[in-house]
Amino acid sequence: MLNVALPKGRLGDKVYNLFKQIGYDCRAMEDGDRKLVLRDPDGEVSYLLVKPSDVAIYVEHGAADIGVVGKDVLLEGGNDVYELLDLGFGKCRMAEAAPVDFQENRQRPLRVATKYPRIAKKYYNSICREIEVIKLNGSIELAPILGLSDVIVDIVETGTTLKQNGLDVRREILPISARFIANKASMKFKEAQIRDIQEKLAAAIMEKAGEAK
Amino acid sequence: MSSMSFLSEQERLVLALRELYQGHGCVRFPMRRFEEYALYLENKSFLTSERVLSFTDGNGKLMALKPDVTLSIVKHASRGREGVEKLYYIESVYRASPTDHEFKEIEQIGVEYLGNVDRYATCEVLWLALESLRLCLREYVLDISHMGMIDGLMDDCRLDDETRRDVFRLISQKNVHELRNLLAAKHVAQDAAERFTSLLTLSGTTEEMLEKAAQLAVGEKSRKAVQELSQLYGDLKALGLQNRIRLDFSIASDLEYYNGIVFRGYVAGAPRAVLSGGRYDRLMAKMGKDADGFGFALYLDELNSLFMLPRREEVDVIARYSPEDDMAKVLAGVKDLRDFGLRVLAACGEAPDVFAYRHYQFNGERFVEVE
Repeated sequence: MLNVALPKGRLGDKVYNLFKQIGYDCRAMEDGDRKLVLRDPDGEVSYLLVKPSDVAIYVEHGAADIGVVGKDVLLEGGNDVYELLDLGFGKCRMAEAAPVDFQENRQRPLRVATKYPRIAKKYYNSICREIEVIKLNGSIELAPILGLSDVIVDIVETGTTLKQNGLDVRREILPISARFIANKASMKFKEAQIRDIQEKLAAAIMEKAGEAK
Repeated sequence: MSSMSFLSEQERLVLALRELYQGHGCVRFPMRRFEEYALYLENKSFLTSERVLSFTDGNGKLMALKPDVTLSIVKHASRGREGVEKLYYIESVYRASPTDHEFKEIEQIGVEYLGNVDRYATCEVLWLALESLRLCLREYVLDISHMGMIDGLMDDCRLDDETRRDVFRLISQKNVHELRNLLAAKHVAQDAAERFTSLLTLSGTTEEMLEKAAQLAVGEKSRKAVQELSQLYGDLKALGLQNRIRLDFSIASDLEYYNGIVFRGYVAGAPRAVLSGGRYDRLMAKMGKDADGFGFALYLDELNSLFMLPRREEVDVIARYSPEDDMAKVLAGVKDLRDFGLRVLAACGEAPDVFAYRHYQFNGERFVEVE
């Protein structure tokens, strides 16, 4: 029996459909149950629905054997897990955005508001720019408008929210997508099953990419 | 006393490990709990966490509570290449937890071979590592790799230091997709890049994997690595341990310190590696020692969650007395019971929450059994 941690919400639904497609369905998932642990008596997997930012933590500590999580969460958490596959969906970008008319003052540290202090620090470190991180938990776009920060580092999907708030992408930091991860010890004792899922997922994604073309 | 039934599972494991290591002629290495801080400052990247508990001693010298044992053992090594010194230790180390940054005291037990670590000594360390895992009394597996393999392939790609670090990290995550992108971005020739990704996706029996790895090896370092691994596999087969070992090239130990065979042990039920070890000739050289170093540590804290709950606390007899009783007589009464070899918990008034097979009450003269 494998424990699969999925992020609650839209991404989780999408991932579950993919798992269903490759033969790992779970009736309890489809009953619209609001339970957090969904187990099929004769299924090979059980699903845990957790907060997206917690998926990698469940996997790292072995409460789940495998999971699907956004690359942003994985980088920010720095979790010690195997990252086995890029699922290629849930695509977006981590980017630096600023008010449209922003002029950078290079004489002082850049004030950066973000939910992702670790990613931000690493990025600005790589371009030798001193920063002051302001960690926020939501509505990041507000920060530069109210003068709390100069710029923000956040996930950008379509850019609509940015535009509505008078912000623009200045620099792209890295592309983000959903990743298939596994606990390191589970990989030792349940390798055949995890590899089977990995291969089937890879095949299903290839097929989808083919259709799209 | 001989049954040791009063010991917890962890205490029994530690005793069994000591018996095992001493049975192979290892000598326990005596140690202080602290070292000079400079030792850790100079070898920061050898430690799992950079944070060290430090304090100033009476002479104003900065000291640190040991975050690691291997460095201390290497520092005291003196024999050079004359024979091999076989040591083991059971020590507390002090490390900051990566999640909440609080310092924790962690019990570690390990083995270090210093000096001329030849083919026999190499096998013996692996043998001890496998036996240590077996003594945890659960399903187990030992992953083995050789740092020369990755080192050789990286040389072949002519990667700069920063890229090497990134490649290293991706290898330890078995992250084939990003590794492929990174190598392409660095204009690494496709066949050289393909070698890396093939290495991470090797499958089959260990013999098949060794054969495939031999085909992937380029350059002196990689070829030697596969050769050593094959030899080791053959030797461990002679001990009947081949089913417990697996080849996994994603083991990434710091190339600054480790150069040869490296390994990680896993026990079913523990979410992370519980045993970690390798060949650290480079660390020896860095610390000015002309000798080989090979060893491993078992992390008892990673095993903690597996240990069975201690059985209920129990004694044979609870002997109750009251404060007004003649204490000389009470003491004599308890001594009588102890002389029979009974485990006696003497208690004043209300009996504590401990299971007892029999209950005694002091009647002013002696202890009498009550229902």
